[in-house]
Amino acid sequence: MTRFYLILGTITVLGVGAISWVVGGNVLGTAVSDPIEVEGLDDMQVLAELAQGVSSGDTAAAVTIIEFGDYQCPGCGGFALSVKPQLDLMFVQTGRAQFVFYDFPLIAIHAHAFLAARAARCAGDEGQYWEYHQQLFRNQSSWSGRQSAVGAFLGYGEALGFDQDTFEGCLKSDKYADVVTANMRLGAELGISGTPTVLIEAQGQLRPVIGVDFQSIEEAIESVLEDVGAARD
Amino acid sequence: MREDAADLHTPPPGNRMVIAVLAMGGFFVALYLMAHNVGLTGPIVCGVGDCGTVQSSVYAKVGPIPVSAIGVVGYLILLGLACLGVQPIHRESSVIGAFLFSGSLGGVTFSGYLTYLEAFVIEAWCQYCVISAIIMVLIFLATLPEIPRFAGRAS
Repeated sequence: MTRFYLILGTITVLGVGAISWVVGGNVLGTAVSDPIEVEGLDDMQVLAELAQGVSSGDTAAAVTIIEFGDYQCPGCGGFALSVKPQLDLMFVQTGRAQFVFYDFPLIAIHAHAFLAARAARCAGDEGQYWEYHQQLFRNQSSWSGRQSAVGAFLGYGEALGFDQDTFEGCLKSDKYADVVTANMRLGAELGISGTPTVLIEAQGQLRPVIGVDFQSIEEAIESVLEDVGAARD
Repeated sequence: MREDAADLHTPPPGNRMVIAVLAMGGFFVALYLMAHNVGLTGPIVCGVGDCGTVQSSVYAKVGPIPVSAIGVVGYLILLGLACLGVQPIHRESSVIGAFLFSGSLGGVTFSGYLTYLEAFVIEAWCQYCVISAIIMVLIFLATLPEIPRFAGRAS
């Protein structure tokens, strides 16, 4: 009987240890998942310095396509997976425009959106911001309904070959919480209330795009490019 | 009471000890799947097969209840019965034997149905479900020596 209880006890210890290890890796811990207090955001100059989008394409391009997006918003997922690839092909890869993504997590309705924005920025430290950006949107339905998305976010990093210690260290910290908070504030200052919101910037002027389908954005960009061309002539 | 006194000198039934050990193992396998189902873990760690497809299929739940939760409860019941059945006063208990046999029969039938779904409906395998099904079959086999206990008592 003693041996029987020893075997049962060993299985219990091993089982509890394994489950605790798996669940513990998913605990939010010190990961900042909400906006933080950032001093000076009322000053537009400070805000402009702190708010940082992530860009792809030629920074010298005449036109900038700006998206304010939320990783947990289904519309943003649709935009990232169907519209953005077309924009990349047509405008970004041809050098006609650059694309800039600003985080605008709708924290009132999307519990993991702020953390997702930070996770993507941490992925940027690994040199794979855009790969992770797409990964988050591709798997949106898988992680957005979870009680905690930490494990899922770490898993996507692992799948992309990140240095897990570095990535986990970044995710479970407050790194980039200030930038994401500033981006949210910038969006609010620009009057953005929903996501995805697309703006076209050229010659220092911002123009909102009505509709986030490819055709609407294409027409807006072509119109802006014409104006830019006319202004040069 | 005379039966209880006699039981004190009976060695613990080996098959019930085996059932307890197997049920404990099955309990943790089901618990891991349940932790995943309720969102307490990250992506499911699946060395063999396609656990994600199986766990996200409509068959992963019975109504609002995850199948893994049914497994957790089932294994706990079998574990409890087996542990009770090795105690000196219950070693010859035909009632516990009958419950162990019928419980494992239900478990093995349910596992068989889930394995059928994996093979022919979902067309994907989850290694944890397969491990659980194997454990349940072994538990069922370990309950077979109970049949003479309760069948003899009934006749």
